[in-house]
Amino acid sequence: MVRAAICAAAAAVVLAASASAAPARHAAAACPGAWKPGWVTLAGKVGIPVYCPTWMPNPLDAQIGGEWEDIYSIGKDKSYLVSFLSHGDMGSGDVHVNFRGYPGRTTIPKCQTVAIEGKRVIRGTTPCFADANGTFSVGNIKATAYTVNQDADQWHVLYAWRHNGSLYTVSEHVIPPYTYAQVVNNLHKLLRSLVLVDPKR
Amino acid sequence: MKLTRRQLVAGAGAAALGAAGIYELVDRLSGSSSPTAVSTVPMGGPRPPEQHVLDGMPVVVENGVEVVVPPRHHLVVTATLKEPDLAKAKQQLEDALLSLESRYEQTPAGLGLTVAWGLPYFERYVPAAFERHVPHDRRADKPALLATRTFPSDPDGTILERNDVALLIRSDRLEHIEAARKTLLDDLGLFEPASLRRGFVGGDLPRKLAVAAGVPGAYLIPHNSELFLGFTSTQKAGLGPRRIVNFETLGLVDLRGGYFRGGTHMHLSHIFEDLEAWYLNFDFQERVDTAFRPGLRVPMNAQVVPQGPKLVSSAEEVTRTFDRIARFGHSASIQTTSRLPADHVGEDGTLYVKGTAIPQRADFNTLDNPFAWSADPKRDALVSGAAAGVHFVVFNPSSDDFHRNRLAMDGVLPDGTTLRLQPQARGQGFNSVLRTTHRQNFLVPPRRHRSFPLAEL
Repeated sequence: MVRAAICAAAAAVVLAASASAAPARHAAAACPGAWKPGWVTLAGKVGIPVYCPTWMPNPLDAQIGGEWEDIYSIGKDKSYLVSFLSHGDMGSGDVHVNFRGYPGRTTIPKCQTVAIEGKRVIRGTTPCFADANGTFSVGNIKATAYTVNQDADQWHVLYAWRHNGSLYTVSEHVIPPYTYAQVVNNLHKLLRSLVLVDPKR
Repeated sequence: MKLTRRQLVAGAGAAALGAAGIYELVDRLSGSSSPTAVSTVPMGGPRPPEQHVLDGMPVVVENGVEVVVPPRHHLVVTATLKEPDLAKAKQQLEDALLSLESRYEQTPAGLGLTVAWGLPYFERYVPAAFERHVPHDRRADKPALLATRTFPSDPDGTILERNDVALLIRSDRLEHIEAARKTLLDDLGLFEPASLRRGFVGGDLPRKLAVAAGVPGAYLIPHNSELFLGFTSTQKAGLGPRRIVNFETLGLVDLRGGYFRGGTHMHLSHIFEDLEAWYLNFDFQERVDTAFRPGLRVPMNAQVVPQGPKLVSSAEEVTRTFDRIARFGHSASIQTTSRLPADHVGEDGTLYVKGTAIPQRADFNTLDNPFAWSADPKRDALVSGAAAGVHFVVFNPSSDDFHRNRLAMDGVLPDGTTLRLQPQARGQGFNSVLRTTHRQNFLVPPRRHRSFPLAEL
């Protein structure tokens, strides 16, 4: 038990250290070759350019269909959710990053809420992203941070921005091994690393 | 070299200060923006008959609302008694308290001292006199001091403590707190400390100290918050007026022989606060809904929300809202028991209007986990490293009055209605982000009987 705890703690330290040691990119180059086909395919399916990251928090990569893909979902309205998740071993924590896009809309979508009181089920809606908490700008992206988010982005910090009539987001779960401050730092690195991938290329 | 028991205890206190070194940042981090406490009571001058009254707290106006500025530093010491010669101990404690009073005025700039006594003291040392003199709560038909109980939203394992005594020490000056601790613990040698509990209130301290301590969620605390949860709780209209919690004021309590006239009841608990859950799961409007009442509209990111006598929720209103949306607010549910249901004239002629707050809260945020020091770290689940929480200190006219307030927080309203939710449900006020670890009720004698009450009889 003690050994497991120590290993978990060590793993957490390694994860955090390796992420923070990763070079910060100020000018993203191109979507990495191994990741690009998945993002191009996605762009083709949703009909708008999508943002491919060129950096991911350790241990994740952003290869759609790869080892860390968790959710790949495209809605009837062509909105998409691509999620990458690592469940740490022995309690070392999770690393969970979501990418979303909403083709042709720039408003914050509504999410359903459900409250159960005894036998009653009370349904409502709430903004999917709320509590704007600052902005971060890089290149043509001016992203707003949201700290209260719903569904797959619950307990995540999320950055949302608009481009050419569509809304895009990237979020990361606030959970060990990463602290809130480290998650924000990771998201800034992610935003710096984004490159647009065109549906046709 | 062996340490004496006293040296060991003194050392423990010093170690706690060291381990809780984060608190030493308080003065540096708070800067000079805090209003200065007003000297209204000279050193060695006459003191109010009540121990729980602390004069000279500044009042500032924020967003058009009067806000009381509480003392910056707080320390609570809980203890059991060494086998005392009660008569001698009584004189020694009183002399020590008088010596502190001769050095410090009774304001936040000086020193606020409250000595509260637990049921174990009365039952163990002065049982017959206690039975004769304990004030009787007419409404509950029970003594004004009851055994500590748990509440529906308390987690399994909440510890119901049995301390003989609690010392509440408050000041804007950390060195005054330390002087009082040394005088009352190290020098006197009458008490076996059970715990030291430290904390702070106001300014931007909750955020700054939580960030400095690396507490999860710290960065999400709004700047300039009075407390971790982001709302100001010491607005004047939300605190009981000066003497309202005295046993004699509201007529809730039969004083019997009058020995405890000018006294009151104190509840002390420690509660962990899950800041990440609060700030990452509840958006601002839901935090308002949760802390106050559902649907209340206030300016975005407001920290001071009016809570005056005319803005009080009734049990009927709370129930109606709950029936509609399965949710009730913390303030709204508690107000059904914590506010006066009708105008009342105190026995000193003071008019308390309908809707006036009764409880006098003296709670403060802490990074203790759960205490700064414990004599029984295993029992108290003492953990190194900081954790966000609150040492909840509140004065009410009786244990039962506190219990009614606390039950209302869990949806048990005074009209007999129970708003049924799972304990710690998200719709149940603050409860989903709180975890109570310890509780105890105390009786606060009037100043004239603060030292070993009833021992002289």
